[in-house]
Amino acid sequence: MSATAAKTETPLQVIDNATCTFCGCVCDDIQLHHDEMRIHKAKKACVLGTAWFLNHTAEKKYPAALIDGKEATVDEAIEETARLLHEADMPLIYGMSNTTCEAQKECAAMADSLGGLLDSHTSL
Amino acid sequence: MLRITGGKVYDPANKIDGQIKDLHIDSDGRLCEPTSEGRSIDATGMIVMPGGVDVHTHVAGGAINFARAMTPEDHRRTQAFIRTKTRRSGLGGMAPTTFATGYLYAGMGWTTVNEAAVPVLSARHTHEELADIPIVDKSTLTLMANNEIMLDQMEAGEYERARDVVAWYIWAAKSYGVKAVNPGGVAAWKWGGDARQLSSPIEGYDKITPGTIVTQLARICDDLGLPHPMHLHCNDLGAPGNIKTTLDTLKHLEGSRAHIAHSQYHAYGGDGWESICSATAQLAEYFNTHPNITTDAGAVLFGDTVTITADGPWQHLLYKLTGRKWGNLDVENETGCGIVPYTYRPSNLVNAVQWACGLELLLLIQNPWQVFLSTDHPNGGCFWRYPEIIKLLMSRDFREECIKKLPSNIKNKIVLPEIDREYTLSDVATSMSAGPARALGLKQKGNLGVGCDADIVIYEQEDDPGEMFAHPRYVIKGGEVIIEDGEIREAPDGREYIARPFYDPATNDFMRPLFEDCYTMAFDNYPVEMERVHGASIHECKPGDAS
Amino acid sequence: MGGKVTCTLGEVKQRADFIIYWGGNPAECHPRHFTKYTLMQKSKFLPKGRKDRTMVLVDIRETKSVKASDIFLQVRPGKDFELITILRALVKEQHVTDAQIAETGITREVLDDLVARMKAAKFGCMFFGMGLSMTRGKHMNSAALLTLAAEMNAFTKFVAMPMRGHGNVTGADVIMRWQTGFPFGISFNRGYPRYNPGEFSTVDVLVRGDCDAAFIIGADPGGTMPQPAIDHLKRIPTIVLDPHITHTSKLARVHITTAAQGIAAPGTAYRMDEIPMPLKPALKSPYPSDEEVVRRINEAIAKKPFWIPEGSMPQMLTEQV
Ligand code: SF4
Ligand SMILES: [Zn+2]
Repeated sequence: MSATAAKTETPLQVIDNATCTFCGCVCDDIQLHHDEMRIHKAKKACVLGTAWFLNHTAEKKYPAALIDGKEATVDEAIEETARLLHEADMPLIYGMSNTTCEAQKECAAMADSLGGLLDSHTSL
Repeated sequence: MLRITGGKVYDPANKIDGQIKDLHIDSDGRLCEPTSEGRSIDATGMIVMPGGVDVHTHVAGGAINFARAMTPEDHRRTQAFIRTKTRRSGLGGMAPTTFATGYLYAGMGWTTVNEAAVPVLSARHTHEELADIPIVDKSTLTLMANNEIMLDQMEAGEYERARDVVAWYIWAAKSYGVKAVNPGGVAAWKWGGDARQLSSPIEGYDKITPGTIVTQLARICDDLGLPHPMHLHCNDLGAPGNIKTTLDTLKHLEGSRAHIAHSQYHAYGGDGWESICSATAQLAEYFNTHPNITTDAGAVLFGDTVTITADGPWQHLLYKLTGRKWGNLDVENETGCGIVPYTYRPSNLVNAVQWACGLELLLLIQNPWQVFLSTDHPNGGCFWRYPEIIKLLMSRDFREECIKKLPSNIKNKIVLPEIDREYTLSDVATSMSAGPARALGLKQKGNLGVGCDADIVIYEQEDDPGEMFAHPRYVIKGGEVIIEDGEIREAPDGREYIARPFYDPATNDFMRPLFEDCYTMAFDNYPVEMERVHGASIHECKPGDAS
Repeated sequence: MGGKVTCTLGEVKQRADFIIYWGGNPAECHPRHFTKYTLMQKSKFLPKGRKDRTMVLVDIRETKSVKASDIFLQVRPGKDFELITILRALVKEQHVTDAQIAETGITREVLDDLVARMKAAKFGCMFFGMGLSMTRGKHMNSAALLTLAAEMNAFTKFVAMPMRGHGNVTGADVIMRWQTGFPFGISFNRGYPRYNPGEFSTVDVLVRGDCDAAFIIGADPGGTMPQPAIDHLKRIPTIVLDPHITHTSKLARVHITTAAQGIAAPGTAYRMDEIPMPLKPALKSPYPSDEEVVRRINEAIAKKPFWIPEGSMPQMLTEQV
């Protein structure tokens, strides 16, 4: 990728013992070399982990939010989401594989407060 | 701001035994000098006690969460807490969900709980779960007696090193003290063995025996100035004739403070399942002559439960005996745990002996400041059944009724039928609150003196103590009215107590290579970050504080 | 009978001299499993590392993991349960007919040898993957293997562990257990958690059209689920939180872009052995974290009227019809 572009700039910052969440091994010994915009090297990570770290950047590649396919602000999207979920009789909260425990807890709280369904990838 | 007026107050820490007394609470949630501000609760004719303190329970972390996974059928027939606008839903039962745990404890007037078994490796998990247990304040104990890095130091005769390692672990886990389980036995279990003799070296070592581990660890806890002494689950749990091991263990503790966990499971005579009998008289006698040690009963109640302990070998035995489901989880370098659903039946002679033993210890140990109410939840029964135990302790007639249901060949195996003692309300207040609070070194708990936390439970006086203690009229936690007329009103977050013992700063460098040898986690990621402990209250340990 | 006998990965690293991978391809799906946790590590008990350990692979096809194994057992597709049951019998020296063995595609000599090795091990560990837990009779298969591991303890130390994949799915499982008592497939529609995998699991719910809104986070069912399920997601208001515009985002009413966990969002993730690991994000994302967005949605929902009348009391489930 565009690792060469970064070479001319400031030296890369290093993070020791970073954690890869791509697979259930959750290796926490990865050394990340980054320039705040992207990660250039993920030492000790396997091929899958390396791809995981190098493919995510801090670029603004996508719109912050979309409502009915049109760009929207996060605030608007949050309001709309709350409205749609609150209006539903039986909302489903699903997924939670690629996210943090902190977000998962919020999801469980959401299903609880809405009286909805809560399910993860495990049920597949 | 709150006043509680006209109640009969039982506050053993201040030698108040049923006198009518008004209590005043300031805006910080502490008891204070008389004020005339704020709401007033008229407690005339009611009984006022400090909120309950559970010195030994299993409510959060990998083991109980494992038990939740193993008992889905129980979740379907239990008590459900319905969601409200501000309060999360939950399920009670043998292994209640976190939110329900808080509601159930507070609902019967308990306001502080000590989670007695936390492996450091999953301490992060335990703290996260504790954060989801509302209302009650919490503390945790770190499992140490089978930690191989510490055992290696003891084997090498490096006492100071071992002490630093223990302190390092306590702070890494952000825990409050040390729990020792089946010293040497769990380490042996990792090869399928056990350690049942106090004087023979443990598997994998030449010198150290369970006895030396116990002695040194108790001394370490004292030397570090931990607020709570070593919390010991003795070797040979649950086995007929284990009274010998227990008494032998106690001898290894002379001169140190110690808390013996769930001593009911360690007070059996006989030499097999046929001849098992109560040996509580011998054990109680020891406590009666050794005020330096405290214990909790680990009482058994008849009915369904799920047993979970860090005692892997015992759980394997239970699995073989019952043929029920078996869960086991060994934790690298540190400890292990086993999980087996279990039903205690009055018709089963062994269970009947266990049931009697728990009550006998609570009644035969004379000083209520030494023996505390516990079921080793969920092992002997669920914590929300404590009021049943109080009833058994307070009423000799009720005990007699229950004894009638036991097998007839129980006669010479137990001493319960000969015990006349009945707990007074002051005994109850000591055993459920003041005593365990003092043993835990929580000076602001179990005490209704000025400056202490306003954790208060108010009961309507009733003839049936089981009913009375199951349904307090009011429960106040940190000055907030949590339960009123039997309903949960508020569910604020509780605090977590942690201890910071001193260790040589060089311990970090010493630990690193040893750690990397046996763990699979990065050394720097291992200690729990302070931000992850919700509502932390730090006790700075001063060596020599312990007495 | 049954249950689960397991350990943390460090125990395997330190002690396991006999390792079985059943129905998985760790070499490609969990690439560092061998090197970090199981085969390659040396320890004070296994000083020669790989040489001190035996690895058996059981799978229906040859994968890249075969190269790493000492013994490869190619089981006939769909015969895992039968094979585990036969092993359970052989371990207990019960009679098994030749016909029964032949069905599995493996010979008696190989199985006798395997059982002898299992019993001779000092510390055995069985890892089971999707190939076992996601095929015909999935729950039966894993339960049978867990039972085999438990029963092996009559002879020697033995444990078993699922090889969980999919990012932090273990975390979801662990958290749902402590908050609701159940690991997945939960309904709160009566105001408290109920569990019924067939009824409340997502594919069933979507195919039946039983939900009228969907909030999707950290998954892309629009790319993986059966068509009728996807069709229902299109019909109802679907909301997606993801670092990318996914298949599901494209059919959703609302998409919110969030920071990737562990790369640009802090927090915790659970390892397959249920040990929580802290995340150390390197990048500062222009997008908010999942945690922040879901919390703000919850705050917005909390401002709206609540669906259960005040004053509802705890109840005993046994009293309900
Ligand atoms: S580095 Fe590889 S093995 Fe480790 S968690 Fe990431 S993807 Fe899995
Ligand atoms: Zn216990």
